[in-house]
Amino acid sequence: MRFLRAALARVRGFITGHHSDSEIREELDAHLEMEVAELIRRGMQPEAARREAMLASGGLTLAAEAVRAQRGLPWLESVIADGRYALRTLRQSPAFSLVVVITLALGIGANTAIFSVVRGVLLKPLPNRDGDRLVYLRQTIDGPGGSSILFSVPEIHDLRGCTRSLGAIAEYSPWSLALQQENGTIKIQVLLVSGNFFDVMGLVPLVGRLTRPSDDGAGVAPVMVLTYEYWMTHFGGDSSIVGKQVRMDGEPVTVIGVAQPAPFYPNNVDALLNMVISPHHTSAQMVQGRTHRMTEIVARLAPGATVERARREVAAVHARMMQEHKEAYDPASHYRVEVMPYKEALGERARLTLWLLMAAAAFVMIISVANVVNLTLMRGVRREQELVVRAALGAGELRLRRLLLAENLLLSLSGALLGVLIAIGGVRVLVALAARYSPRATEIRLDTAVLAFMLTLSVAVALVLSFAASLPKEGAFAAWIAAGARRMSGNVRKQRLQRALVVAQIAVSVVLLAGAGLLTRTMIRLSEVSTGLETEEVLSMQVPLLTFTQLDSASDARAKQDYDRIRRELLGVPGVIEVGIGSNMPLRGTDVSFEVKAEARPFAPGEAVPRADLRTASPEYFQAAGIPLLAGRAFTETDREGAGKVVIINKTTADRLFPNEDPIGKRIAWTGDVLRFTPFTSEWRTIVGVIGNTQDGAMDAKPRMVVFLPFTQSVALGGAIVIRADVSAAALIAPATHIVHTVAPDAPIERVMTVAQLKDQSVAPRRLNAELISLFGSLAVIVAAVGIAGVLAFSVSARANEIGIRMSLGADRWRVQRMILSEGGVLLAAGLAIGIAFAFLALRVISGLLFGVAPNDPATFAIVVVLMTVIGIVACWIPANRASRIDPAITMRMQ
Amino acid sequence: MGGKMDVQQGTLALMILRTLEVLGPLHGYGVARRIEETSKNTLSLNYGTLYPALLKLEQEGFVTAEWRPSENNRRAKYYSLTAAGRRRLAREARDWHRTAELMTAFLAPRGEEPV
Repeated sequence: MRFLRAALARVRGFITGHHSDSEIREELDAHLEMEVAELIRRGMQPEAARREAMLASGGLTLAAEAVRAQRGLPWLESVIADGRYALRTLRQSPAFSLVVVITLALGIGANTAIFSVVRGVLLKPLPNRDGDRLVYLRQTIDGPGGSSILFSVPEIHDLRGCTRSLGAIAEYSPWSLALQQENGTIKIQVLLVSGNFFDVMGLVPLVGRLTRPSDDGAGVAPVMVLTYEYWMTHFGGDSSIVGKQVRMDGEPVTVIGVAQPAPFYPNNVDALLNMVISPHHTSAQMVQGRTHRMTEIVARLAPGATVERARREVAAVHARMMQEHKEAYDPASHYRVEVMPYKEALGERARLTLWLLMAAAAFVMIISVANVVNLTLMRGVRREQELVVRAALGAGELRLRRLLLAENLLLSLSGALLGVLIAIGGVRVLVALAARYSPRATEIRLDTAVLAFMLTLSVAVALVLSFAASLPKEGAFAAWIAAGARRMSGNVRKQRLQRALVVAQIAVSVVLLAGAGLLTRTMIRLSEVSTGLETEEVLSMQVPLLTFTQLDSASDARAKQDYDRIRRELLGVPGVIEVGIGSNMPLRGTDVSFEVKAEARPFAPGEAVPRADLRTASPEYFQAAGIPLLAGRAFTETDREGAGKVVIINKTTADRLFPNEDPIGKRIAWTGDVLRFTPFTSEWRTIVGVIGNTQDGAMDAKPRMVVFLPFTQSVALGGAIVIRADVSAAALIAPATHIVHTVAPDAPIERVMTVAQLKDQSVAPRRLNAELISLFGSLAVIVAAVGIAGVLAFSVSARANEIGIRMSLGADRWRVQRMILSEGGVLLAAGLAIGIAFAFLALRVISGLLFGVAPNDPATFAIVVVLMTVIGIVACWIPANRASRIDPAITMRMQ
Repeated sequence: MGGKMDVQQGTLALMILRTLEVLGPLHGYGVARRIEETSKNTLSLNYGTLYPALLKLEQEGFVTAEWRPSENNRRAKYYSLTAAGRRRLAREARDWHRTAELMTAFLAPRGEEPV
């Protein structure tokens, strides 16, 4: 209490100036006068009395200072004084301050922006209740398309029954449905979920309720839970939507609630429904077919269980499954189940890219700080005189450090402030990037944690700067002052530190440049990859008229008629050369793939059964898409229902199934247990043609086996319309969508894209990667160039006298230039060597982001070395040139 | 001069409080004179020691201060003891006596040491 009262009195003293300086002085003066009067009374002469009293007082000024120290908040007062002083000093060297603030702002801004993304996407705890207890399970097999084959209901049943470490398992199945509204039909992305899904996920409703176990099974009412984003964007956050009915795929569905905002794996969706909307999901086929894998699972760890234990248990259960059901697990395909924290699964695709960006930003920060340290050191040399005088006047080392700290804090916090502005802009760009990789992009924001990160960074920078500077040692003042405090820069330690920093800057720049070079080459390689199509002027769109819920033959026939009408009307549009219909757009991947076998060609024991993508095509499809026919013929009108079953295969399939043979006329068939659950049959089909490979799914995708069925000999699923034009394909978008709308007003139109756009979609994320890293690389190089030029310039001015002497002794301008250039050249060479060695080792980690270029690509490294050398020499040449113009007469007279 | 000593830490506050108790409201000079006289001029008390101590006691609420005209018609700041100051003086004087007795016994010449 006593302490608190005293503290309050101090604060009051600080604020009100109670016990003002004049009052203190008056009290002390009164004391002195009384003392003097007393001494005179005792018989002293007034003069002597005053002297005696002064001596006894111990100094009025010191006493007043001591009282002031007791009076208010001396530390706060001196902090303010320090701040004022710092502001004044920095205003005296505006160029220095500006360079430092901008350099730091770039470093801090880049780091803050990227850290906010890393935090939002990878680090932040999930919004789900106890989100770190959620695990995601993934079944994989070897070969293309095997990276996640999902689970079948019987498999989930086994896992549920036999693993104690998995407390509860929720099922969900990504799906898309047509939402029919008055203003048209749109396709929405949904998850069909088990009743316990939200409970397992630990999510609560914002409005209404979520699904529960009573929503499971057939014969219940279809219900829908909206995700927060979809509710906000499409229903304006209006809670009266809850309880209303909407039409989905022709069925009435009741909206029962809105879920709290949360990310879903593998992708965010618009809504979540119970399974009953898809008769398929509740059918006996689905529920009993062990090979009918179309369900994702997420589980909550039982109390006390660890991911590691769950992993062991799941592996054991899976091994037993494979023993008991040999027919469902082809041993050559190596079935495996991975168990990972759900948060990790959500961040999986973004992780490498984000850490790469974070590392690049950190590198930029290192270079920036190194530069600022160098600038500060050089400025420190010029300020030595000032500091020596301060020290001689009694400022202790701590006091001087505090002065420097105040200056540096002012600099780094100004940098941070500017950095926040950069970060705000940067985060916008980065959210777009992150959205391509992660369902958690919406969680990215510049929140307090990010700002705390930035503040810590700035204070750390200020501390580094304040302690990098060397201060005059106590007792050495005399020598310093005697030396005229002029050129103490011969100080070897400092020069060595400056040089080491320049070498480090160059090395780090080289690593960044090499990374940028590799990513840029990756992007160029990707855009050079042939799509496999012969033309780019192709417009395609997906118009699904038939859904999985209505595969009856009447609907199928009706859909085929509609497609034919659309095709004929499109042909009438000026500029249209050909129109084809198929299941998928060219260059887009499909997830429909089955095992395939060739007639009279049994597989060797242990040989994995190949899988091929199943696509369908009308006779004109290949011509319209520009897919080259390599052998045989395209489909014809005669390949219709009831006629002989035919197929067209791509080159990869021909090479795999019929190496060194002509496949035309041979027969192949779909195979595998899973066909039972599909509308596709396993009869033999004759190969009538071979087409070229196309880059389906991605420009860097490995070639996949593809088998085309005639559109008319298969169900009309998918509904891709491919339009070849002799004008710009983009110009056809309006007339084409108009025709589709008139023929099929209820049909959703998806992904209206030209081939160029499809191709770009695959390259774009890589381009952004390459651009960002190149941006960081350029920043690094600029800062490093400024660094090397600055250090040399400083060296030149420190050696001006020496250079003057050399020149007066007969050294010509070239000689002087060469001397300074070689001084810089040594630094440059050392930086290059270290940087290349480091890049060689470190860039291996990004091989996953590269395409068509090795992480130690010699050409890239050579370009980087040349580029850095040229920039380095230019940077060295500026101070070298200045050195050569030194006038010996002037320099020597100045000394 | 050689015989003079500095005021020991912690004892100055006690001396000030006691002086104010005995002499009533007093200015800084009076306090200093009284302490020096009481110590028979063995203590030297410079302003830089005395006035911060007075201010601290004021901040802690043991003394109050007010400006009044002094004997020689100047303005001087007079300090007087508060109730809290009295209590503190009583407590600390008691503690101090105990400590002094203990230290005296402890530092007594060898012969008187209990065996």
